[in-house]
Amino acid sequence: MKNVRVWFKKDEQCRYISHLDLNRVMIRAIVKSKLPVWYTEGFNVHPYITFALPLSLGFRGERESMDMRILDDDFKLDVIKDELNACLPSGLTVFDVTEQKCKPGSISSAKFKMRLSSDDISVEELYTKLQELLNADEILVDKKTKKGIKKIDIKDYFKDAKHYDTEHDVVVRVVLPAGSTTNINPTLLIKAFKEKYGLDLFYDITRVDVYDTDGRPFE
Amino acid sequence: MIKSKLEKILLKVQKPGKYVGGELNAVIKNKDEVDVRFAFCFPDTYEIGMSHLGMKILYSLFNSKPYIWCERVFAPWIDMEEQMIKNDIPLYALESMDPIYEFDFIGFTLQYELSYTNVLNMLKLGGVPLKSSERKELKNIVVAGGPCACNPEPIADFVDIFFIGDGEEVDLEVIELFRECKKQGKTKDEFLHLASKIKGVYVPALYEVKYNEDGTIKSFSPKFDGVPEKIEKRVMMDMDKSYYPDNFVVPNVEIVHDRAVEEIFRGCIRGCRFCQAGFLYRPVREKSVDCINEQCHTLCQNTGYDEISLSSLSSSDYTQIVPLLEKLSQWSTKENVSLSLPSLRVDGFTDDILSKIKSVRKSGLTFAPEAGTQRLRDVINKNVREDELLNTCAVAFDGGYSTVKLYFMIGLPTETMDDVKGIAELGQKVVNTFYQCENRPKGKGVRVTLSSSSFVPKPFTPFQWEPQDSIDTIHQKQSHIRENLTTKKISYNYHDADTSFMEAVFARGDRKLCAVLEKACEKGMHFDGWSDCFSLEKWLEVFNECGIDPHFYANRHRDFSEILPWDHIDYSVTKEFLVGECKKAYENKTTPHCREKCSNCGALKHKGGVCFEKRQSMV
Repeated sequence: MKNVRVWFKKDEQCRYISHLDLNRVMIRAIVKSKLPVWYTEGFNVHPYITFALPLSLGFRGERESMDMRILDDDFKLDVIKDELNACLPSGLTVFDVTEQKCKPGSISSAKFKMRLSSDDISVEELYTKLQELLNADEILVDKKTKKGIKKIDIKDYFKDAKHYDTEHDVVVRVVLPAGSTTNINPTLLIKAFKEKYGLDLFYDITRVDVYDTDGRPFE
Repeated sequence: MIKSKLEKILLKVQKPGKYVGGELNAVIKNKDEVDVRFAFCFPDTYEIGMSHLGMKILYSLFNSKPYIWCERVFAPWIDMEEQMIKNDIPLYALESMDPIYEFDFIGFTLQYELSYTNVLNMLKLGGVPLKSSERKELKNIVVAGGPCACNPEPIADFVDIFFIGDGEEVDLEVIELFRECKKQGKTKDEFLHLASKIKGVYVPALYEVKYNEDGTIKSFSPKFDGVPEKIEKRVMMDMDKSYYPDNFVVPNVEIVHDRAVEEIFRGCIRGCRFCQAGFLYRPVREKSVDCINEQCHTLCQNTGYDEISLSSLSSSDYTQIVPLLEKLSQWSTKENVSLSLPSLRVDGFTDDILSKIKSVRKSGLTFAPEAGTQRLRDVINKNVREDELLNTCAVAFDGGYSTVKLYFMIGLPTETMDDVKGIAELGQKVVNTFYQCENRPKGKGVRVTLSSSSFVPKPFTPFQWEPQDSIDTIHQKQSHIRENLTTKKISYNYHDADTSFMEAVFARGDRKLCAVLEKACEKGMHFDGWSDCFSLEKWLEVFNECGIDPHFYANRHRDFSEILPWDHIDYSVTKEFLVGECKKAYENKTTPHCREKCSNCGALKHKGGVCFEKRQSMV
């Protein structure tokens, strides 16, 4: 038996499905593929899969991963990729299958690309307002935690954020804490923007990559 | 166009995955390469519609023809509807994302009377004129089928064509006719006239209704020569050869019945007198064990589902049920596929069956005795005896179960307060049975749930002439059950009487109700099958404004001689038979089921199915 890590993209229509739904879709694809995957041995037998880092509903993911166990040690990893792709809906695409080099617990940050736009203001104005927000001394926003709603300052997290405007939107690129200890959702910036300017932004967010504690790509 | 507008609103609504399509096995074709585009609309949410077997069958069947592209459309939930209206997004089909006004056919399946407002609302959201007479061109042909099409009159003004009976053949014949008419440049009128000559097709615009002064129907007749007086239902007689999909669209978001479904037979031998399905789908036609086995295996392979539901109106009445379960378990166990068998009868619950189905989890069992006393069960011809029920419960309790749910109906014809009290008493007897079982689960109490719905008289049943109890009476009966419960081991819940009343109005309504529905749609009414949206007050207001008395339809006793709004539709079961059954009900007499004795209902004319099976008593 060997542990493998399946790398996939979550995009198109599939970015609108929740983590729970993703879990179901993946399990059905594995069942349909008939790959020699290890199944749990409890009352409710199903392929054993785990995801390193759940992705918020609505986000695109360019380098998502799912771990599973293959019963046959000599099984070709490329075959897993092709078999799964044949069984997945078009918005989910496996692009690689590798060994599990890092532990999921080592994940500490993720890189996001946010495309922001608004029906109420021009791209230029949005760019200026966003610049103002990012350059402020503090960016206060309500964050939901297990203990209730807390006011936090996200200035530090966004201090290295890069932003530029295109014809239709403003793009923000930022690396934020992610993983088992701290998680900062990029939509907090949109919330802060709304709290400050009273404007709803339309967003299209992609999680581009995931990194370990040393800032190296999670592998 | 719609796609980019959608992106801006999808993250503002619940479960956006319902509104984007892109599922595994969804059929994508090039719209320029097909002759006919069909928008298959389910007038309820995605989660409900995607669970519906009829839609899966017809979707795959239509798409198996290269010249048809059939797409799915569901009613957007209220949050989505609001966003769509606000952002000027018309109702669209999930495969192409094209608005439904671009389609040749807009088809609805009518499963439930309270979804009629959704039918109209979906047309409205899709930018399609509501009335058949307002759609003059040969496009946007609105068609409808399903059980509620048996009384098409309340929505007759809005639908161009109703399909009566099984849809597998008649739908295609009409689509093929449309294709020809379009090629030849015929008008919509010409097309409808030609369609009306196909068996199983009802074109309401070609008929005229006259009313008596008291509001009942005086006459109902075709307006033109050559238009049939009676519309006979279509029946698929050879279920093995009948089309069945080898593939389902597998949803990305969770739906109500998220599993493979295999139809094992159509119809029901029982003839419970309140049950419309039991009469509409006669005669019983079974699929063979081999056919079912093969279709189940293929479905699991193509979808990745690990659960199959064996579907029918009464699964334990399948003649080969044990051999079937044995055959299926030869591969299902190995492939971790579990089987579930819904609609089990009290008298069909055997150890043999139990041991092979996994999904009857230890959590609970559900049975439907429907009435509290033997007398009333005889009236409704639900041939289940009390000792059978208690024995079955005992078997279940000995097998480790401790929860039982019992379904009843209140407001049945001839019902007295004693019958109602009988429901509470039966619950108590089940509790007592538990404590008499030596092998009952230890350390656990028994939980019995009594659940009552209100009887809705339906067309094509022996009770089609019966009045429905008034809402007040139903409330009294509900209280009566609650007052007669003496233990907390029994819990009682009941279905809202208000919705049952509206159901009764539309189930047996006539064309005068079209005006009511139009007004309701104008007021933005929708999702009336959902307690979130239903309001009796609003409905009564609409009826009032239209000058129509809803009680005329729901609570009036109809004479056997009255012309009923659905009398021109022929489901093979004769009126004489239904009258006879109704009279027998008044005498507390039961009728044997089809396998015991033929009761000459009229379904014999299809020359097949259970009517031509060898009866055990004769062998």
